[in-house]
Amino acid sequence: MPQAYYNREAGIERLATETGAGQWGSALAFATSHFEMDCTVYMVRASYEQKPYRKMMMQVWGADCHSSPSTLTASGRAMLEKDPDTTGSLGIAISEAVEDAATHANTNYALGSVLNHVCLHQSVIGLEAREQLASVDDYPDVVIACVGGGSNFAGTAFPFAGDKLTGKHPDVDIIGVEPAACPTLTKGLYAYDYGDEAGLTPMLMMYTLGHDFVPPAIHAGGLRYHGDSPIVSKLVKDGVARAVSLYQNEVFEAAQTFARTEGIIPAPEAAHAIRTAIDVALECRKTGEAKTILFNNSGHGHFDLASYEAYYAGNLPDYDYPEELIRDALSRLPKVA
Amino acid sequence: MPAFRTIGLVVNPFAGLGGRVGLKGTDGLADRALALGAEPLAPARAAMALAPLAGHGLRFVTASGKMGEEALARAGIPDSACVYGPGVPSTAADTRAACRAFLDDGVDLVLFCGGDGTARDVADVVGTDVPVLGIPAGVKMYSSVFALDPGTVARVVLADGPARLADAEVIDVDEEAYRANDFRTVLHAIVRTPSAPGLVQASKRVFEEADEDRARAAIGAFIADAMRPGVLYLLGPGTTTGAVAERLGVNATLLGFDAVLDGRLVGADLAETDLLALLGDGREARLVLSVIGAQGFVLGRGTQVVTPAVIRRIGPEHLIVLGTPGKLARTPRLHVDTGDPALDRAFGPYLRVVTGYGTAQRKRVGADTPA
Ligand SMILES: Cc1ncc(COP(=O)(O)O)c(C=O)c1O
Repeated sequence: MPQAYYNREAGIERLATETGAGQWGSALAFATSHFEMDCTVYMVRASYEQKPYRKMMMQVWGADCHSSPSTLTASGRAMLEKDPDTTGSLGIAISEAVEDAATHANTNYALGSVLNHVCLHQSVIGLEAREQLASVDDYPDVVIACVGGGSNFAGTAFPFAGDKLTGKHPDVDIIGVEPAACPTLTKGLYAYDYGDEAGLTPMLMMYTLGHDFVPPAIHAGGLRYHGDSPIVSKLVKDGVARAVSLYQNEVFEAAQTFARTEGIIPAPEAAHAIRTAIDVALECRKTGEAKTILFNNSGHGHFDLASYEAYYAGNLPDYDYPEELIRDALSRLPKVA
Repeated sequence: MPAFRTIGLVVNPFAGLGGRVGLKGTDGLADRALALGAEPLAPARAAMALAPLAGHGLRFVTASGKMGEEALARAGIPDSACVYGPGVPSTAADTRAACRAFLDDGVDLVLFCGGDGTARDVADVVGTDVPVLGIPAGVKMYSSVFALDPGTVARVVLADGPARLADAEVIDVDEEAYRANDFRTVLHAIVRTPSAPGLVQASKRVFEEADEDRARAAIGAFIADAMRPGVLYLLGPGTTTGAVAERLGVNATLLGFDAVLDGRLVGADLAETDLLALLGDGREARLVLSVIGAQGFVLGRGTQVVTPAVIRRIGPEHLIVLGTPGKLARTPRLHVDTGDPALDRAFGPYLRVVTGYGTAQRKRVGADTPA
């Protein structure tokens, strides 16, 4: 909403954006329809095919949704030429949306994660959670959210990170959860890199797996991003927050547990946070500690039922990241100044 | 349009004979099996698999009599062309000669009915020139060229569009040793086999590299790029490890172990003693292995020269396992059988398998028991 609003205020009539899982694309489609703007969404191909009804949802709100890489942009065509069977990635979809905005009149690019203003907008989550807990005289010992580009994690954790940094609550444990297949915070390099595949964005100081890394097609499509929010990266670098990584099957196991106990079917992305919350709670049971655990359930899984089906069919590979070999492979590349 | 228009069919009429009478294979023992009262079973299995192929406009070339012609007639496919006449009784040499005649005829697919022994004879002649598919009828079927059962043959053969081919290992069990209850297998050859989409991948949509050749090339490029100077890389059998050699431009032994140092081949088709000599005292090395066979063996099938002593010298943590996404989708578990159970346990409960450029999967090792 704020991104659409401020763009409209500035006289912009059309927004172009990327979407991974489809949540951000749906949200921006609604927001632009609210402010009578046009909207074009580049949706990562793997997700586009896994969840066809996301596209419908965006269409209901008047947005155009294209499978990315598409033939509409030069960066999309280049990617398709390189690998016609590519699964796409957030990095590629961002390139397409940026190029679209740069080549169309009165069009701006809107990013759904990573950047500071997006993290700021999302901080309503943590601010409100902190208020709610305060109303019952509680404060979390552990704060957990999944990390794709970092926006829901930032939104959940930043208010608590603030309390930690200012010494109000120095012991709060802040955990970001990412897929083992795309372990940006746990295995990435802290360096300047592009936010997109084609290198159209400014460089950002962040943890990165390399802007040309196309993560395996895990079902948590929203977590398939090579980089991370610079502020989130810095907090992890400084030890204010920490990160863990999980395999697909253990994530879906937790999603099922949560669905059966709470009646809410979570998105695979959100289930990363749930799995870690369960793990922390089980650890407490072992040690006998009582902890208040706050986690963000970042989305429902109603469009992800095909991935639940694959889980039940035993068809979910536990995608992994061969970090030593990748390090060896990168060390041989010519250094680019 | 189906990918296969002309099909060469060869039936080993004696395949499977030994199984019923407990002979663990029939190679060279058909007479004894018949004397023990065994019923030939291959012709019926072949006819069952062939029947759904009738009326699809396919052209069949085959060997006369029991080696194919009769099975086709029973299946309601009368107008096949006999391009080879076997001796009576027929032998393995007849299987090979029939396959040579098929290749001369320019067939698109060689369909055989038999077991591992027949697969070996077919592979000797056909190699990777033409795809091969097995109708399962043997005693031993450890090779991965066989359709799941005779009924799935038609679905694979009649699948629309261009053929989706995968590598398949022809595994040869030492029958003499096997009869003495000593299970020893050798990776005998690698052929190309067709698979029907959906048949091997169940309900999963294909998001990964579906093309085995491209997947293999990506793996080869990644490992070649990741090779460190001064480190000895031992490349095991198979075409996935072969893709590494191909990328490096060195000539690899398909079924044996080769050694690469600083991008150059420093030893080919090595025996255990060669490997130990190359490793010397404490030379840093990596063992690069493909996932082998339908059973998912990483060590223990075709890797016998890599003895426990060799593995200990390299260090079990220095294993690099390679497998295409397609292969892993067909392989629920990985297996390690070094001959030393204590060493086998060093490879569990998960192994990481490199599946593409910079991508990997974690796979369970061992029998289907909870972690
Ligand atoms: C349900 C859900 N959770 C989390 C994310 C990850 O995004 P971020 O890290 O920006 O919160 C996504 C992204 O699509 C998502 O759909």
